[in-house]
Amino acid sequence: MAEGSGYQQLKNLSTIAEILTVAIRFETTARDFYNAMQSKVSKRLRYLVDELASEEQQHMDLFTKLMQQDNLAEVLQQEIERPASDHKFSDCIHLPELGDAPDDQAILQYALMREHAAMEQYTALAKTAPEGPVKALFMLLANEETKHKNDLEKLYYEIVHSGGV
Amino acid sequence: MAYQPDRSQYPQRRPDGTLDIDLTSGKYLKLWQGPQHPGITGNMSVELTVCGDEVVAGKTHVGYLHRGFEKLMERRTFIQCFPIVCRICVPEPDFNEYCYAAAVEELAGITSPERANWIRTLILEMGRINSYMMYLGGQAGSLGQGVIGQWTTYARDLMLDRFEELTGARIYHMFILPGGVRDGLPEGFKQRMEETLKEIESILKDVYNVMYCNAVFKKRTVGIGYIDPQLLDSYGITGPTARAAGVAKDVRRDQPYLVYDQLDFEPITGKDSDIYTRADVRRRDLLMSVDLIRQILAKMPDSGELMAKLPNVLHWQIPRGETYIRGECSRGEYGYYLVTDGSGYPRRVNVRGPSYTHAVALLERLIVNINIADVAALMVSLHTYPPEIER
Amino acid sequence: MSVRDLLSPFSAWKNVLRDPVTIADPLNRDAAPRYRGFHQNDIAKCIGCGTCETICQNGAIDMLPVDSVATKIGDSGLRPRIDYGRCCWCALCVDICMTGSLTMSNEYKWVDPNPDNFRFTPGIDRKSWDSAELGYQRPEQHRLTETKRIAMQELEADERIDNFAEIVAGYTVAEAKLEADRCVSCGICVATCPTHMAIPEYIAAVRDGDYERGLKILYETNPFSQVCGRVCTRKCETSCASRHEGDAIAIRWLKRHITDQVPYERYREIVGDPLPPTGKKVAIIGAGPAGLTAAFDLARLGHQVTVFEAKGAGGGMTRYGIPEYRLPYEALDRDINLILSMGVEIHYNCRIGVDRTMDSLQQDHDAVVLAIGLQQGRQTRIPQSNHERVYRAVDLLHKITANEPFELPHCAVVIGGGNVAMDIARSLARMQKQQYGVVNITVTALEEQQHFMADADEIKEALEEGVLIRDRCGPQGCEVDTGGKLIGLKTWRVVSIFDEERRFAPKYDEQDEVVHACDTVIEAIGQFSDNSLLGELLTETLEWDRGRLKIDAAGRTSEPWLWSAGDCVKGPDVVSAVADGHRVAASIHQKLQEEDR
Repeated sequence: MAEGSGYQQLKNLSTIAEILTVAIRFETTARDFYNAMQSKVSKRLRYLVDELASEEQQHMDLFTKLMQQDNLAEVLQQEIERPASDHKFSDCIHLPELGDAPDDQAILQYALMREHAAMEQYTALAKTAPEGPVKALFMLLANEETKHKNDLEKLYYEIVHSGGV
Repeated sequence: MAYQPDRSQYPQRRPDGTLDIDLTSGKYLKLWQGPQHPGITGNMSVELTVCGDEVVAGKTHVGYLHRGFEKLMERRTFIQCFPIVCRICVPEPDFNEYCYAAAVEELAGITSPERANWIRTLILEMGRINSYMMYLGGQAGSLGQGVIGQWTTYARDLMLDRFEELTGARIYHMFILPGGVRDGLPEGFKQRMEETLKEIESILKDVYNVMYCNAVFKKRTVGIGYIDPQLLDSYGITGPTARAAGVAKDVRRDQPYLVYDQLDFEPITGKDSDIYTRADVRRRDLLMSVDLIRQILAKMPDSGELMAKLPNVLHWQIPRGETYIRGECSRGEYGYYLVTDGSGYPRRVNVRGPSYTHAVALLERLIVNINIADVAALMVSLHTYPPEIER
Repeated sequence: MSVRDLLSPFSAWKNVLRDPVTIADPLNRDAAPRYRGFHQNDIAKCIGCGTCETICQNGAIDMLPVDSVATKIGDSGLRPRIDYGRCCWCALCVDICMTGSLTMSNEYKWVDPNPDNFRFTPGIDRKSWDSAELGYQRPEQHRLTETKRIAMQELEADERIDNFAEIVAGYTVAEAKLEADRCVSCGICVATCPTHMAIPEYIAAVRDGDYERGLKILYETNPFSQVCGRVCTRKCETSCASRHEGDAIAIRWLKRHITDQVPYERYREIVGDPLPPTGKKVAIIGAGPAGLTAAFDLARLGHQVTVFEAKGAGGGMTRYGIPEYRLPYEALDRDINLILSMGVEIHYNCRIGVDRTMDSLQQDHDAVVLAIGLQQGRQTRIPQSNHERVYRAVDLLHKITANEPFELPHCAVVIGGGNVAMDIARSLARMQKQQYGVVNITVTALEEQQHFMADADEIKEALEEGVLIRDRCGPQGCEVDTGGKLIGLKTWRVVSIFDEERRFAPKYDEQDEVVHACDTVIEAIGQFSDNSLLGELLTETLEWDRGRLKIDAAGRTSEPWLWSAGDCVKGPDVVSAVADGHRVAASIHQKLQEEDR
């Protein structure tokens, strides 16, 4: 997954604006995916896909804002000084078949898998990119996905591991 | 030779037994002594009928200090009564605490631990010293000797310091509670107590020289306020007042409580049964207390339980029963009559303070035919604490 | 009379040469270390139990709310205000203080022109003696209440391991009286109890030996008193004033003691008859604690109640989740039968959505209560966990209760550290002992053992019964051999569980991998509610809140005829379900009365 299609698309891009544009497109695709899922899941689980879609929307907004900033390089430098650390996902990434009527656990596992893949992809890109704003941007993107994934993981535990009292 | 009152001035009796006192004749005068006067008898007064400067009749009036303790206790739980009882006798409050605690323990089937009993005995003897110190100042003061009161107040203050460090309070100690005592002796207490006892002995020597070996004091007290030993039982006279009449009544020996059976002492007695003898018996009794404290501190255990296991005091119910617990306080027999009915409250508490017998019926009898100026000395010699009369 | 008597008094003159004994500066004399001076109160330690107020013989103490202290579980939010116009410094308040927060300084001077100032709240109204170190503190040995809990007689491990007999014997009358005597009746537990049982009152009934009065009090708030007397999560005991300097009162056992002491034949008469019929009809889905409590209340108010239960017997999780050794079926049956005796009609083996539709219930009744509980076990969905020998704990517990056959594992690994994990582990241990003669069960969980969600007693007893506990293990996958046979559970060591915000976010050490050999894996990580009975249409119509039916404080859903209560909306807990049952019953009753007006 780490060297998948997104990797190929991004690898050859060299300007920050170009990278961000593609990143925004990825987020858009994800948001639309979750929005499309709205009609598939039971109403009681719709809050979950709503939340996931809005998370992606937030990323989109963040990247769009970044693109519009003049002192972009400087901002990137500041952002990556606070990297989020990755916890390995406990119940193990096990690609779920997101069938016609997924339950909350399946949706969450899918979302986790997606964020995990994105995180690894940006991390790999950051590694190969030359020192400078581009590397910094990839690291920022990796960091954002990691944060998002960590939040999802907490949600996963709160929903699935209710303690078995 | 027994004292023979001069009956020449005594009024005639009417057929119904009352005295035939015609105030309009000009022969008699009504005179109120108290409720404030210098005899430590505090809040009680005596309505005197005098003929010249001789009293022909005296009627006691009490109630100035009535707070209804006995009734208050019927509306309080057993533990809640504990802070109340000490107030029934200000200068020597510990007998209330002890008698109440012992009565509750007996009816509830609780035994206070050995070490607590030693500390209780210690506290009672310390209280006795305080009480006598107050008496000495009052007895001398009632005859115009102010200086004795200054000295004994100082001595009493030293003992209050010991009370403060042992019990956490100077006057109302609230230390002996049902089940035992609150705490053991503080560090270095024995040493400081010995210093205090030495100081008290020294002060008592001075008191002896100035008060007892004093022509004026003797003139005013020897042969005055005589109590016929035959009256003792009919008037319920106990304590130093009885012992000064030659009868060795002392509950500590007659019916030993706490650890008195393990202490070496003999009741102090006198012969002449007058104010002077009573004062002297009390002085010697005080010295005996000094000795008893020394014995207690030497013999008492330094470790061990201080409190028996109590049921939860908030719901403490005591089975139906009644008991009378008595002890020898500085003025005589102090007793608590406690009735329980199985509820969480005492059904009846009756406090037997020696002042009740001494300062009402006995005083009214003794006051006849004495000089007005001697009334205060007589009252003090009966060692009265009015709150006991009007619990 | 002698010459000496004339001369001796003049010896008083010797004092002219002596130093005065008067203390020159009495205002700066320190009082003794034990001196009972002005009060101090450690506000953080104080729980506002008001025991000081209770013992004060002169009414000098009033418990009052203060701005800086919030009311919370285990803290009334009140603090003692002392009136120095009434206080006599007897220090009984200090002696009885349940937390040791109230003490006395050795300060004794306080001059103030305003008499009202002498009524103050120690610790809140700042005073110069607040930090004084000396002064009266309750001596170590001096306690006015008993701190140790009366021990409960229980079956020893070897007596209980091969059977399902109830472990706890219950208090004898003498033991119960002693335990009840420890209670200070502060009532902080009442606020903590979800159904607000009148705990101090029924404990008082135990003290008085008046068990019928006690039973009446129990039934005012809890028709599942036999159940709760055994398996309640007893939040009350976590807020008990006695737990601060000793053991909490055994509130749960005292409740059970009352139910043990009153002959069952007397129950019905003591609880009393329902009110005359109102003609209103209520349907309740689910005969668990929430549903049956609502049924009890509504039936007693005169409404015609019908309960629909999918399983063959009532009690819900208390029957199909909790093992018999913790809660004998007879005790549960006694509770249920009393509820049914109020005129409640019950249909067993009737699954809504299959045997009857929600629509028909709505049409035939004035109100419907959904109290279906959390019957479905959560799955870990780790690799290979779809193997047929991977079970959900709740499913196995159901089989055990319902006597349905299943292949008893020779060696099982349980995932989860909660009470359900312990229940299945201990149940299987008993069956293994009976059938195989040896116990071979391992419980793995993410947490450290002391932080397991299971009760400490459960863990202790499980260990005594031979259950192995492997804590700090994160499940990573089931191991299956080439023949498709389950052979183990792979776990990674947990480094930490919570993040800085105390949210659940485990971190693992991948290097520390263990495979726990077994032939069966049992997942006991959590439960969820199967809402499929509602049907698609109703699911769309109803409002939801993060996966659960949205209800208001009274238990009303967004549909005016439908209420929901218990585990399915509030999460798993027996006594909370009882409380919820009362809540919806009250709300339904109010609605039905309004309709009549």
